[in-house]
Amino acid sequence: MDHFKVENLSISFGGLKAVNDISFSVEKNTIFSIIGPNGSGKTTIFNMISGIYQPNHGSIVFNGENLVGLTPDRIARRGVARTFQNIELFGNASVMDNLMLGRHLHMKTGIFKGAFMWGRGSSAAREEIANRELVEGIIDFLDLQSVRNTFVGSLPYGKRKLVELGRALALEPQVLLLDEPSAGMNTEEKEDLNIWIKDIQADYKVTILLIEHDMKMIMGISDRILAVNQGQKIVEGTAAVVQSHPEVIKAYLGEES
Amino acid sequence: MPFGQLFVEGLAIGACYGLFATAVVIIYKTSEVVNFAQGEMAMFSTFVAFHILNFYGYPFWMAFLITMLFSIAMGVLIEFLFLRPAKHPTILGMIVITLGAEMFLMGLASWKWGAEQQFFALPINPSVTYEPIKGMIINNWSIAVLSVSSLIMLILFVFFKYTRLGTAMRATQQNKNAAKIMGIRTERVFSFAWGFSSLIGAIAGMFFASRATLDPAFMMEPFLRAFAAAVLGGLMSIPGVIIGGGLMGLIENYFGYIWPEWKPIVAFIVIVLVLCIKPSGLFAKHYVKKV
Amino acid sequence: MDKKKLFVAMVVLAATVAWSGVSLAANPPGFDDNEIRIGQWGPQTGPAAPWGSVARGSKLLFDIVNEEGGINGRKIKYFIRDDMYNPAQTSAVVKELVERQGVFAFVGGVGSATGMAVKDYLAQNKIVWVGPSAADDNFIKPLNPYLFAVYPLYKDEASILAKYIVENLKSKKIAILYQNDAYGKDGLDGAKDRLATYRMQFVAEISVEPTEKDLGSQILRLKNSGADTVLMYVGPTTAAIALKTSANVGFKPQWVSSDTLSDYPLMFKITGGLWEGVITGAFGDIPTSTTNKYVVKYREAAKRLAPQERWGTFYMAGLLFADPIVDALKKAGRNLSTESLLKALNSVKGHQTLGPPVTWSEKQHQGTDSVMIQKCGPNGSYIELQGWTKNDLATWNK
Repeated sequence: MDHFKVENLSISFGGLKAVNDISFSVEKNTIFSIIGPNGSGKTTIFNMISGIYQPNHGSIVFNGENLVGLTPDRIARRGVARTFQNIELFGNASVMDNLMLGRHLHMKTGIFKGAFMWGRGSSAAREEIANRELVEGIIDFLDLQSVRNTFVGSLPYGKRKLVELGRALALEPQVLLLDEPSAGMNTEEKEDLNIWIKDIQADYKVTILLIEHDMKMIMGISDRILAVNQGQKIVEGTAAVVQSHPEVIKAYLGEES
Repeated sequence: MPFGQLFVEGLAIGACYGLFATAVVIIYKTSEVVNFAQGEMAMFSTFVAFHILNFYGYPFWMAFLITMLFSIAMGVLIEFLFLRPAKHPTILGMIVITLGAEMFLMGLASWKWGAEQQFFALPINPSVTYEPIKGMIINNWSIAVLSVSSLIMLILFVFFKYTRLGTAMRATQQNKNAAKIMGIRTERVFSFAWGFSSLIGAIAGMFFASRATLDPAFMMEPFLRAFAAAVLGGLMSIPGVIIGGGLMGLIENYFGYIWPEWKPIVAFIVIVLVLCIKPSGLFAKHYVKKV
Repeated sequence: MDKKKLFVAMVVLAATVAWSGVSLAANPPGFDDNEIRIGQWGPQTGPAAPWGSVARGSKLLFDIVNEEGGINGRKIKYFIRDDMYNPAQTSAVVKELVERQGVFAFVGGVGSATGMAVKDYLAQNKIVWVGPSAADDNFIKPLNPYLFAVYPLYKDEASILAKYIVENLKSKKIAILYQNDAYGKDGLDGAKDRLATYRMQFVAEISVEPTEKDLGSQILRLKNSGADTVLMYVGPTTAAIALKTSANVGFKPQWVSSDTLSDYPLMFKITGGLWEGVITGAFGDIPTSTTNKYVVKYREAAKRLAPQERWGTFYMAGLLFADPIVDALKKAGRNLSTESLLKALNSVKGHQTLGPPVTWSEKQHQGTDSVMIQKCGPNGSYIELQGWTKNDLATWNK
């Protein structure tokens, strides 16, 4: 059984085919990247996977279950987390609070139990401690210690991207969708991010779907790459295969270099 | 000028405004909709309590409990029937929908219970008064309003700060998309917000009705004042709204004592002034929603 | 598509309404050999619906008249139209009654603003209107040959109440709580004129908007003025809030109020019993009277003909306001015309049934300035304090 498989995925907006008959399959615990020029339908694919858009055709099968038709919160419950190109954070809350919201799914305590932690040994208190430990781990991992109590609205762009990544990790996902995580970062930050993504793959045992413009980063970390243009699949394969495809060179790499 | 007595009266009615404003804010916080049916939802619930008391002769606590359940169900149902089916609604569209719900409820109440004023009493004797300090009389109604609204505030504080659902509500209010991605069932959050808001509104409605009279139009004026108190407090922060309600009651009573003919508008003048200086209200926390 | 349909529907509707407003021919005659058509508007739904009983009270009177054989061989055909206390609606329903149904005369009609909306239209169409259920100088000044008022003016009533407060209650410190509109201000003016004759002034004059729900500061002003008596020219809800708030702050004056709040069972109910002891003016006799033979007769008839109705002040007012037209129609004789009815109405002199004596002349169409003074007893019962009293300071007849 395939771990994560997209088949014949299509969606139109007002007659325009934004994504047309895209299929691909991702193996467990690998990094799968999607490249293509702006407006080629990359983010639209992510939005269909996370349930924000409903595709017109096709299926998205994860662990044997079709995600098409499920609401975003249900898809999140199945273990699919994501970040956004334009960052969607809880701006009026601290970094810590944002990360703790990522734990929301995993909290079982109801209204009444959660409201009153009956002593240190109660299940609610134990759960709270476990969640805090996990979040502290992520804060250490992404080096967010210095801004842990800062309101995210006042953080610089690059840091907010990291907070969003951290929050997605807090969900303990099986699949992580990262939409241009390096956008707006300087060279040094990009290098750090490169390492973190590799570490996430290794330490958190997560399958990563990545949209990126930074070719050096893509070619360095991806197990497989899908190149799209105008909503259509051009080629899918390893870095070497994709890099050498004439249409990719023409449509994408050619313009870049 | 009887400063102490005006303080008691202003604070008591202000607590009532604040309580009702909280109902407005709970919905506004989660969905950014000003629910214009809020007053009529409270009116309808109060009529249900009135009906249970007068036609079935149940004791007050039972009528109260049934009314609370009814008001929650009504809030959830109105959200489900009127607002949820709206596809890609604009804020203006949602407001128009709530106005429709308002007229519907008012019509229904007029048809069921008539337009004539009715007597609605809480199980407290409002004529029993205490005079802890000379010249400052406190009666049972004021004591009940102040203690019930304090209790509800405390519950709300704990709820929003420490419970999972409270956190989900705050998250949904700040960023609906992000909340969904976090696995929060935002639709359930909306249902809950409407039910909860309707419940608090019903309690406030009973206080207003017991002070004045009960008729299908009796909540129109208190709604305007509570809404103004909510704007004064910043529409987002519940403590801010409570303070806004209190200020409203005090300003109205002190100014209204000196210039009775200006009483109905003085608070609105103050609000316009406040909004000119601080457009987000007195107590709104500044935050950037989206980048 | 739906919007377009809606638009077309609205255009059609607007055209129909406009067309129906155009009277191509003269209005149908108001009577024939068998019937006389009489109409009344009144709020049967909406916030003012409690006053809708006036129009239904008039119906009882006409039912009784018809049961007794009608007037000079003709039965009365009576039309009630719901205007929801909305002047625009009043205009519409009155037009319909005049131009479609062919109404000969109107009786009653709750509200000043609603009446003002149709006053001129009725006069232009030479339709007689007897007993508006509102007190308004504009109904009688300048003289409108087709309009005959029964309801005593608020100014006169306030003057009589003020006199009673000073002379009978021996009150030294009087305050007034009045609604900030024509009704409240008429009450204020009338009472002030009377107090001036005693070289007295109100110790506090507090205005209130009819919609206000918190009267804390107003009541404290009244309390701190040291008033022992408070005169009220307000609506029922405001009065209920005032009494409740006063009880809350330990203020217990003698309350005196206008006749608009003389429905004691209602006021007793909505104040939770606080209305007991309140003194009010009254435009009609006590509804529970056993001495007024008309009250007894109609009350018994109501039990038979309208058992669903509450025999209260406003229901009885419907009979009171319509009563003079029955008398005048009888006098106008079988050879009926608008002129003969006007002649009969102009010669009504001292006609008294359920209320004060009513007198009209060709120069004067305010029928009375007399009010009764009553007091609310236990359980909303009526106690008569002073019989029909004229206002010796009245100005309307000068």
